[in-house]
Amino acid sequence: MLKVPKEVYEELKDYCLRIARRGYVTAHGGNASIKSGNLMWITRHASSLENLKPEDVIQVSLEKPSSFDVLASLETIVHRQIYLETPNLAVLHAHPPISVALSFFMDEMIPIDTEGYYVLKKVPVVEGQPGSLELAKNVAIALKSYYAVIVRAHGVFAAAKYMDIAYQYLCMVEHSAEILWLTEVLKKSGLTLHKPKKF
Amino acid sequence: MGWLVLNGWMGKCLTVNLSTKTLKTLDVDKELLLSFMGGRGLGVKLLWDLVPPSTKPFSEENILVFAVGPLTSTPIPTTGRFSIVSKSPLTGGIFYSSCGGFFGFKLKNVGFDYILVEGRSSTPIYLYIDDKNFELRDASHLWGKTTKETFKILEEDLGKDFSFVCIGPAGENLVRYACVMGGYGNFAGRGGLGAVMGFKRLKAIAVKGTGKPKIADEEGLAKALKNFRDRISWNPVLDKALAYYGTSALVNVINEHRILPTKNFQLNRFEDAENISGETLKEKIFVRRRSCYNCPVGCKRMTKTGSGREGEGPEFETLASLGSMLLIGDVEAVAEINYLCNDLGLDTISFGGTVACAMELSEKGLPDARVKWGDAETVKRLVVDTAYRRGLGRWLAEGSKIFSEKFGFAEASMNVKGLELPMYHPDGVFGQALAYATSNRGACHLNAYLISVEVLGYPYLMDRFSPVNKPSIVVYMQNLAAVMDSMVVCKFLGFEFDEETFANLLTLVTGKTFTQESLITIGERIWNLERVFNFKAGLGWETDRLPSRFKVPLQPMLKEYYRVRGWKPNGYPTKNKLKSLGLNVEDEC
Repeated sequence: MLKVPKEVYEELKDYCLRIARRGYVTAHGGNASIKSGNLMWITRHASSLENLKPEDVIQVSLEKPSSFDVLASLETIVHRQIYLETPNLAVLHAHPPISVALSFFMDEMIPIDTEGYYVLKKVPVVEGQPGSLELAKNVAIALKSYYAVIVRAHGVFAAAKYMDIAYQYLCMVEHSAEILWLTEVLKKSGLTLHKPKKF
Repeated sequence: MGWLVLNGWMGKCLTVNLSTKTLKTLDVDKELLLSFMGGRGLGVKLLWDLVPPSTKPFSEENILVFAVGPLTSTPIPTTGRFSIVSKSPLTGGIFYSSCGGFFGFKLKNVGFDYILVEGRSSTPIYLYIDDKNFELRDASHLWGKTTKETFKILEEDLGKDFSFVCIGPAGENLVRYACVMGGYGNFAGRGGLGAVMGFKRLKAIAVKGTGKPKIADEEGLAKALKNFRDRISWNPVLDKALAYYGTSALVNVINEHRILPTKNFQLNRFEDAENISGETLKEKIFVRRRSCYNCPVGCKRMTKTGSGREGEGPEFETLASLGSMLLIGDVEAVAEINYLCNDLGLDTISFGGTVACAMELSEKGLPDARVKWGDAETVKRLVVDTAYRRGLGRWLAEGSKIFSEKFGFAEASMNVKGLELPMYHPDGVFGQALAYATSNRGACHLNAYLISVEVLGYPYLMDRFSPVNKPSIVVYMQNLAAVMDSMVVCKFLGFEFDEETFANLLTLVTGKTFTQESLITIGERIWNLERVFNFKAGLGWETDRLPSRFKVPLQPMLKEYYRVRGWKPNGYPTKNKLKSLGLNVEDEC
């Protein structure tokens, strides 16, 4: 277990804190990683994203299991698969509530807000038990074609070359989910939906 | 309470008096099963009832209990285990040791909840049990044989359908930390219960049972087990780390946390840890995985060294106690010392701890303790000398406490209550340190595995350098461990499941209603009875300590621990506490 480089720790800490402050994770939920060559730095199992410490960042190999895997996030297997199957360099996983709630009702989310529609286009909903190979494969396949994916009843994985962009995708998924939910509520209250003309 | 149909338990026991050579089967008191469950709990209650605490461990009056639990031999994973209970020749206190493999499974299937062994035979014997017969048989041809040789002869004589426990020469020669071998690679390792067998001249027990315990709700259990097995397969520790590397996965992890005992705990990090790590073991000597009865994890390792020697292990505790503790940074050398310990029947933790103590004394110039750090060849010779009590081995056989006192430097013995410390340096894990100090069987990691929360983050991660809330967690874990040892299941299940799951499984198996609270109360009852026994045996509050080498702030945690336990400031349970647990203890300490 090598000591995490300061800049890697600072970046992970910064974005983990942002995720936690947005209410996208519960006390010890969520995880984040950064790829570095044939290894990744990933948050520790049961660490608190709100208060990430240097010892909460674990280095694990992308190529083979190592004894340090036991300390790393339960979702290490998913992060590893994403890096093996896509060119991404940063992955965020959180449990934003509205996206998780909507996942019970749809197999894919098509954003109706302008930004979400143009950037995300579509967010697939996949299934799989946390920490399972099945989930890892489903998420990695989806992220070959899309920026983010919702795991039914669980949470969102967002991946990009830069951590800031992955964070942007994660926030956009939740924002689009919230807009969808609000428009449904408003429709049910009797208001008429007016879609943008060029949408 | 209706007991028309007995589910889970078998309701029978076998009592064996080695002095009179009488064997009897008896009905087991059903209320006893509900109050103490089985396994360790049952053994502790029998020891309390039958053996005065002042009894000498090496005496006819001491007993040995081999007990299974209500979950043994059910379809629930890891339920092939059994517990052994006796008074320890190493600590002088009550001792319980849990063992994996298949022996527990076969013992349950023969129809017994426990075997009680009393008295002492005048000649070597072994106990034979099958579905129809049980008898004592001559073991003169087995006496002096190694564990492996004993198993081989018994297998040839009786067939491979039998399961065995046996002792090696170390047990016969009353080495105070001789272990009991419960199948290839399975040991009731700690506390010298093998020496108690040796004193009784009980070389082995052979058992073959083909029955099965009844299960109250088979359909409900099958449904619950689907989820149970899924959860095991999703757990990274059980399904990945332990399955891939075995317990050796911990070497690098523990070393990098600076809690790997090195050079007799003088250091907390081993420069050559990589050479004894799980990765190196896998690359250099790994042959195949091995599992206990009905276990999907398969943490056992068969290995073979470059010189062609092969055997079981080493596990994490052995890699550290015979590796970093002795500054032997060579996985093959450690494995070969391990094979010798297995064959001769020695607990590797206590042997490593005692040799480390001798190395430290040797470094300080003691003329009689000539063994240098890192000298693997001398250590191999010392395994044999210890098992046969020859030369320096005569004193090493007494354990590090007596050894260091004999040579006038007690501070070099890393023990609690006479039991050598396991392989987590207490200065870097405050909760584990408290667990060592307060464990009823002496320094032990299995009575409360705080490493789970202080290092691995299961079920959550606590600040390992903080004493805050540690006493409460230690008490909870100790009570839960006592129940797990009594059901009897593997402690590794604790990485995923808690008393809620176990209460549900027990209810489905036995048909009796168990709740989380009732299970923890059973654990607390067992723990308190052990505590009372130890006090009366002379292991009072003053033995709740750590060696002076360590800097953990123990006293404030201890004070809080006693309070949380509902004990007096002197660490003895209050009358009210004992009464609330249904323990009838008349006089006080």
